[in-house]
Amino acid sequence: MPLFWLFIIVLVIALLGYFAGRMRVMQGAGGDRRNMHSLPSYYGGNVAIKGAAPALLLMLLWMLIQPFYVNYTVSNQIPDSAIADSSSRNLVLSEVRRTANGLDLAVQTGALTSDDANDAQANIADITAALKEAGAVLTSDITQPVLSAAQSYRSMNATGYTLMSVAVIIVAVLGVRWGLREARPEFRARNVVEQAVRWLLIAAASIAVLTTLGIVLSLVFNTIEFFRLYPAVDFFFGTNWAPSFSGRGGSSDLGVIPLLWGTFYISIVALAVAIPIGLFAAVYLSEYASHGVRSVAKPLLEILAGIPTIVYGLFALLTVGPLLVSVFGRDGLGIMQAGTAVVTAGLVMGIMLIPFVSSLSDDIINAVPQALRDGSYGLGATKSETIKQVVLPAALPGIVGAILLAASRAIGETMIVVLGAGAAARLSLNPFDAMTTVTAKIVSQLTGDADFASPEALVAFALGMTLFVITLALNIFALFIVRKYREQYD
Amino acid sequence: MKDTFIAEKDVDQKTVKIAARDVQVWYGDNHAIKDVNVDIEDKTVTAFIGPSGCGKSTFLRCINRMNDTIDICRVTGDIRIDGEDIYDRKVDPVQLRAKVGMVFQKPNPFPKSIYDNVAYGPRIHGLSRNKAELDEIVERALKRAAIWNEVKDRLTAPGTGLSGGQQQRLCIARAVATEPEVLLMDEPCSALDPIATAQVEELIDELRQNYSVVIVTHSMQQAARVSQKTAFFHLGHLVEFGETDKIFTAPEDERTESYITGRIG
Amino acid sequence: MSDASLTSGAAPTRAKKSLMAVDVRTRKRNAAEKRFRAYGIAAIVTGMFFLIVLAVSIVRSGLPAFSHTVVSVEFNLTEEQFADAESQLFKTKAYEALLIEEIRSALVARGLDVEFDSDAIARLLGKPGGTLREHYRANEQDLGQPVRFELAAASRVDGYLTGRVTRDTLQDSRFLQGSDLDLIDALVDADIITRAFNWNFIMGADTGVDNPGGAGIGASVIGSFFMMLVVLVLSLPIGVAASIYLEEFAPQNRFTDLIEVNISNLAAVPSIVFGILGLAVFIQFMQLPQSAPLVGGLVLTLMTLPTIIISTRASLKSVPPSIRDAALGVGASKMQAVFHHVLPLAMPGILTGTIIGLAQALGETAPLLLIGMVGFVARGYPDGVMSGFVDPNSAMPAQIYTWAARADASFYEKAWGGIIILLLFLLTMNIIAIILRRKFERRW
Repeated sequence: MPLFWLFIIVLVIALLGYFAGRMRVMQGAGGDRRNMHSLPSYYGGNVAIKGAAPALLLMLLWMLIQPFYVNYTVSNQIPDSAIADSSSRNLVLSEVRRTANGLDLAVQTGALTSDDANDAQANIADITAALKEAGAVLTSDITQPVLSAAQSYRSMNATGYTLMSVAVIIVAVLGVRWGLREARPEFRARNVVEQAVRWLLIAAASIAVLTTLGIVLSLVFNTIEFFRLYPAVDFFFGTNWAPSFSGRGGSSDLGVIPLLWGTFYISIVALAVAIPIGLFAAVYLSEYASHGVRSVAKPLLEILAGIPTIVYGLFALLTVGPLLVSVFGRDGLGIMQAGTAVVTAGLVMGIMLIPFVSSLSDDIINAVPQALRDGSYGLGATKSETIKQVVLPAALPGIVGAILLAASRAIGETMIVVLGAGAAARLSLNPFDAMTTVTAKIVSQLTGDADFASPEALVAFALGMTLFVITLALNIFALFIVRKYREQYD
Repeated sequence: MKDTFIAEKDVDQKTVKIAARDVQVWYGDNHAIKDVNVDIEDKTVTAFIGPSGCGKSTFLRCINRMNDTIDICRVTGDIRIDGEDIYDRKVDPVQLRAKVGMVFQKPNPFPKSIYDNVAYGPRIHGLSRNKAELDEIVERALKRAAIWNEVKDRLTAPGTGLSGGQQQRLCIARAVATEPEVLLMDEPCSALDPIATAQVEELIDELRQNYSVVIVTHSMQQAARVSQKTAFFHLGHLVEFGETDKIFTAPEDERTESYITGRIG
Repeated sequence: MSDASLTSGAAPTRAKKSLMAVDVRTRKRNAAEKRFRAYGIAAIVTGMFFLIVLAVSIVRSGLPAFSHTVVSVEFNLTEEQFADAESQLFKTKAYEALLIEEIRSALVARGLDVEFDSDAIARLLGKPGGTLREHYRANEQDLGQPVRFELAAASRVDGYLTGRVTRDTLQDSRFLQGSDLDLIDALVDADIITRAFNWNFIMGADTGVDNPGGAGIGASVIGSFFMMLVVLVLSLPIGVAASIYLEEFAPQNRFTDLIEVNISNLAAVPSIVFGILGLAVFIQFMQLPQSAPLVGGLVLTLMTLPTIIISTRASLKSVPPSIRDAALGVGASKMQAVFHHVLPLAMPGILTGTIIGLAQALGETAPLLLIGMVGFVARGYPDGVMSGFVDPNSAMPAQIYTWAARADASFYEKAWGGIIILLLFLLTMNIIAIILRRKFERRW
């Protein structure tokens, strides 16, 4: 890992700079700390920061820019004639990249010498054989233009990395020298170091923004790519979901409506289970339960929230599904074909959401001022009348917010539906039918064998985008309601 | 202004509405009320005064069993309303509270419309057969609480949107709407400004015609202005109980005198 | 007070009622009260019921994964037999024949006489010849000496012995036939078939689709471990730094608001979306290797950060301002006050939050599916520490999913067993968090 070592080298330079800076300022101050503005370690820290920060920044930028530059140049090298009719420049380029990686692998395992790998006159058949021996994955036989493009791809990358290493080390050394020049007793080293730390803190806090940005960008770009290959109208309004499994065949129907229907149907079933149970549990725990009952029942219920979703998925597939089939299936009522169905996934998802609804509602019910309850009791209302007519209406906005958050959970839940809901996209009203959801199809489209550039795979990003937008809207709306509600009683 | 509505003292003997004998209250280990004996008369305003933490509010809350909602609270002794022991096992606190209304320190209107706030009690107790009767009850209660003119045009507006004094009068209207026989008021004016206080005090005096009113107050002037009988509580004991005039002019107990003259409290 | 005078004449209209007699309406209302209360109890009981059903089905279905049926045979291979077998065309077949001979003589020695052929052995043991051959090729010194082999029996043999498969439900198939059951009974009588603790399940790696008996979760535990290491190393410092900034330094401005909104929203973004992010950014864009714990760790870090930031901020907030004032009062800079005083005091809370965040990340499955941590068989363990991060591996929940998604029902038992292991890890982490909280919780 040359990058790793470069990183270590920069850190070592910075560390040396730290000690040099400390020493230098101690000399400058005649060995007496009291003559300095800051503690000696701050001077060392200043040198280390000046050494490491610009160098690492350069390294990061370089690594971000180089692939673009190399791809661009290599892509221009590929003659139009090398691009087959059914293919595109991008596909050829990924071929080139794969070949280059294959060459790397072959050199590494010793199937090829590095000279052979770079030889422009090399025999294609030999190279192909060597790559296969090394275990590189090749989709088709290598052609001459692809091989030469791959070779220049490799050499440009190698040169790029050498140049980068040199530049980074030079910048690090220069930075250390700059820092050392500043290591004078009157220099306000602490302020500089603290400013740097501050920037580090800001950078850490910005990761949340970067994550959102990353999510949005990765969804948007791939979704645009998908809509270039598949009409957006057919995606949003198509009522049939039937991706072809042949890979690049253009005969897929990729309508999102059956998936959305499955998603909402399952979520509604889940909420129909979770809301009454969760809400009544919350009411009982916060208004009726004695301290002892509460301290036992509440954590026990919350265990349900801490169980990973894969466990619920398995529970749906192997326990609840067969159980429901034995009641509603061929031996029972005869309305259920298989264990994987809307009710199975919905019921299990509902169980998962019970603690979610109950603990959020519990918080909200507890936030209703005691004065309102007293007012109601003082008029001779019973507890349940007080709850139904005073407490719950007062807590209603918050509870609605909690339910919306639970709904967003249900819509975005993956493992339970992947294992418990079935794989067939279907527009049906029967809850005992198998249906599938947006999340389940994201998984199946991206874990199959389809090429990443094909619409069958890219559709997953469009699905992800749909999911992201729906859940984001629900979350923002819910948080808005909850926050507004909190303000009301603060 | 004060003089204009100091109640004329009734000289004729009233019937005893509430009779308390040897009442003790514990909050956990804390003995909050000790040996309280008191007779509260019908159609009279009785004021409970005393320093903070003396148990006057606690005792008030015993009269309609509001203390039942506090787990650690224990009440012994005998409180009778019209001769019936309200802590008897046969008594349903829900029915009791319909008979003994309560108004709290801080105005606590429900987050509902003004109309629904007042109609809440009659609805749960089933006091009306139809909408027209309910309208009538609400109007009567709002009039009795002297707030009708201010809110009659916006009965559907939320009760929380009223001013502090209006909110407290709304709460009084809410309490009288269930047709109680006793009205308990726990420092009903402590969260109000002087003008609102004056309005509520005037209202209390009006209410005396129909109800037995018990008011807990921090303000001795208020007790003097609105009540005919005054009870002085100190450290959980009922120190002195008698005609308001007498308590304020010639107290028998020196603790009462110290409190009235501002040496303790 | 004009309106008050209007009403002064109106007297209470209700007739006086005794408190001692509960009227009809009150009785009805009290009944409604009881019903309402019963609904609440029912809700709690239902929740508990689900919890119990879940726990019971996990334990009942998962425990068998920890033991397996073994055919233990003492085997003595001479040099000549070895040479002879190695010279044949079907080498493993030759070993198999030797094994059958051994078993038959063992049965005869105990006076049990059952007819069986090599197909029956194959149904019971898979292809044991390969195991034998590999052993002797690797350990030639064992030639000529008796060696005891414990060969894992096929999962259907397991099923027969645990009652999952009975003579009535058994349908003859290429997996198991009625006649095999006689053989199994005889082998049990001869103490050749026994049940043993399945160390392979805990230590081993996943097998292919046709060998449910040999599948183990060990490799994916290591994969999960490396992932959690990445999550811990990244999310703790980043989360703490972000929280310190937001709680102690951030000015009230648009940028801070933006960060706050982002954090609260990221906490509610579906996990699968993080998987898409990982696929697009880490694998497609940054060209990091697929199926690597490093990538899994990065994705889970991004997912865990909001949780850690929220809990860290809560514990920073709980340090009273007087501590900061005291530090500032003796001339410390704001930065020093935070790092020297506030942060150490908030540390127990931060660690508790971090452990809970890690526990969440450990059980997360959906994003791992998208970055390719399923659907392959990890070969061997990572060679070294570095390769542990970048070599393809699975993770516990992804491994469980892989088993659950296989057509062969014998893998389901493994999946439940995997869940028991996963839940044990989660339980341990949560207990540590609770102990930390109990021990260091400080009330100001």
